[in-house]
Amino acid sequence: MNYFAGLDIGSTAIKVALVNQEGDLIGMRVTDSGSLFHKNAKEALRVLLEQHGIAREEVRYLIATGYGRKLFKEADDSISEITANAIGAHEVGRAFGGVRTIINIGGQDSKAIQIDATGSVSNFAMNDKCAAGTGRFLDVAARNLNIDLEELGDYHFNGKGVPLTINSTCTVFAESEIIGLLANSHGKEEIVAGIHYSIAKRTVRLAKRVGIEDRVYFDGGPALNKGLVAALQDELQRELVVPEHPQTTTAFGAAILARNEFLSGNG
Amino acid sequence: MLDRIVDDFDDNPAAMTYFYDLFRRIYCQGEPVERKGMQVGTTCIHAPEELIYAFGANPVRLCNGSYHYDQIGADFMPAKSCSLVKATLGMLSSENVIPKVGKLDLIVNPTTCDQKKKASAMMSAMGYAVYNLELPPAKESEAARVYWQRSVREFTNQLRIVTGKKLTKKNLMAAMAKTSRAQVAFRTLHNFRRVAPSLILGKDAFLVTNAYFFDDIERWTASVEALNIELAQREKDGFCAAQKKAPRILFTGSPPIFPNLKLPLVIEEAGGVVVVDETCSANRMLYDMTSVDEWLVNDMVDSLADKYLKPCTCPIFTNNDDRIRRLLDLAKSFAVDGIVYQTFAGCQVYEMEQRSVADALNKAGFCMLAVETDYSPDDMGQLTTRIEAFLESIKSRKRKAA
Repeated sequence: MNYFAGLDIGSTAIKVALVNQEGDLIGMRVTDSGSLFHKNAKEALRVLLEQHGIAREEVRYLIATGYGRKLFKEADDSISEITANAIGAHEVGRAFGGVRTIINIGGQDSKAIQIDATGSVSNFAMNDKCAAGTGRFLDVAARNLNIDLEELGDYHFNGKGVPLTINSTCTVFAESEIIGLLANSHGKEEIVAGIHYSIAKRTVRLAKRVGIEDRVYFDGGPALNKGLVAALQDELQRELVVPEHPQTTTAFGAAILARNEFLSGNG
Repeated sequence: MLDRIVDDFDDNPAAMTYFYDLFRRIYCQGEPVERKGMQVGTTCIHAPEELIYAFGANPVRLCNGSYHYDQIGADFMPAKSCSLVKATLGMLSSENVIPKVGKLDLIVNPTTCDQKKKASAMMSAMGYAVYNLELPPAKESEAARVYWQRSVREFTNQLRIVTGKKLTKKNLMAAMAKTSRAQVAFRTLHNFRRVAPSLILGKDAFLVTNAYFFDDIERWTASVEALNIELAQREKDGFCAAQKKAPRILFTGSPPIFPNLKLPLVIEEAGGVVVVDETCSANRMLYDMTSVDEWLVNDMVDSLADKYLKPCTCPIFTNNDDRIRRLLDLAKSFAVDGIVYQTFAGCQVYEMEQRSVADALNKAGFCMLAVETDYSPDDMGQLTTRIEAFLESIKSRKRKAA
């Protein structure tokens, strides 16, 4: 059998996706990037293949993407995560009637991508050199509040008061702002909701730069956070398309591209 | 950086060796630049170099591109200010000014953006003789034209005092002939870059125009002419410096200055080719030739002043529709596939013009990528992602259109 893999080596997590000859998703895996991400990426691929009983040789074409794409020399090719994300979202978005705007929040960056009807990137914008409004921001906030990252969504909906305002646009300053709010005995729930709205506002500003068109697809690890999804929908005044596996859209896009490249004879 | 510019590419033109060596000697080994006469530092292309040459002095453009000096210059300026201004101040405050042009007899500082305006007093405090060449904030009105002509006349007077020489028609004509020859050589190079597939890469073209900042003008011109001869041969031989389908990029915004050529370099390492630019470190500096047909030396100075004001597309001017017209013209006539717009963090005027420029280009069917960066080398990864995605989107659109 022929299989095709997409390997998305991000700053925080490594995502692998595997598709078959027809382009159907066979399996995927998400692991931490850690410091030895080259080794971890290889390991993630090996484990995924083993789980599905697939030999390495059956993977005919592998495309690496994400922050560490250039360092994974075993790949047949590499592509920027923006293009891979667009391909993945276009593919997954079909089931929802097609998507035209992608909002992606990653571990260290956030981006907004506009795609045309064929799935080509027509415009994109990324945050500049700053972790504000990214996954890292949520990480830091959760740590300050002494709660698990996974619990943020629940806290968001359990607040009794209005969401507090987090004004700092810098992750480090926001950290001290959060500590200040805690010291003034504000509830964690209201702080969490405030953080989500703060990220949502920043993200919407970024998305407006590329132009927002229906439908809006939201992916990346933080899309697992229901509270953030709700805040983003509020700020956008629109429903978001959130895929079942928001972390692996980009890896899936790279796998789809790997399949297309191989079948079109470029492999 | 120089190694990356030189060694990471095959097929560099043989005539580029002069420029590679020049930068290696001047920047890497700190050798002095050989030039006779007085040295007049300039902080902007608005200082009329023909006048400086006419007084027997040499202009040297002080705008600096080094991260090292940027960090030193951070002592003088607020944290969120432009790398270029910080680096220039940092360089001037250092004991070993690079490029080593010798003692600066005068620094002429055209009053352009706020940061350059305020840098004036800081340069004076360092012990330099600084002359503020007053530039109007608009360029269309007659009042602005008259104001600027008076400024340039005053500057001429200042040069007379500093050099102890007199401005004559003969000297000015000779100076203009010198710069004209340089501009003709540049235009020829510029026109060679229209050829597709490309004959020369943008990183080399930027190095050439960068050398103009400090090199002896006649040596520079001769070296560019030699390069042009080689490019003519390349054209005849059907030589390709880049792949046939390499996306052709127009580069605009904050000026790339050696060693900060990272953005043009990232574009070309990712498989694009910078075929033309609209920046004050290259095209804007050398494109417009002087052709003054006045008979009297004072009238010549006035028309020279006009040449420095009217065609300039610097974003410091209140209205700057000329820049959009120029960009559209370059984008069309060089058959570019996309525009990359560089803004240095803290360079407000370029940042502010970015939206209107993007709108105008998009309306005309061109896609533009705006990138904010500075002199620090640590954002290479992020820049690469953006540039690659931009080039991939251009390619995929072209593939689908075909």
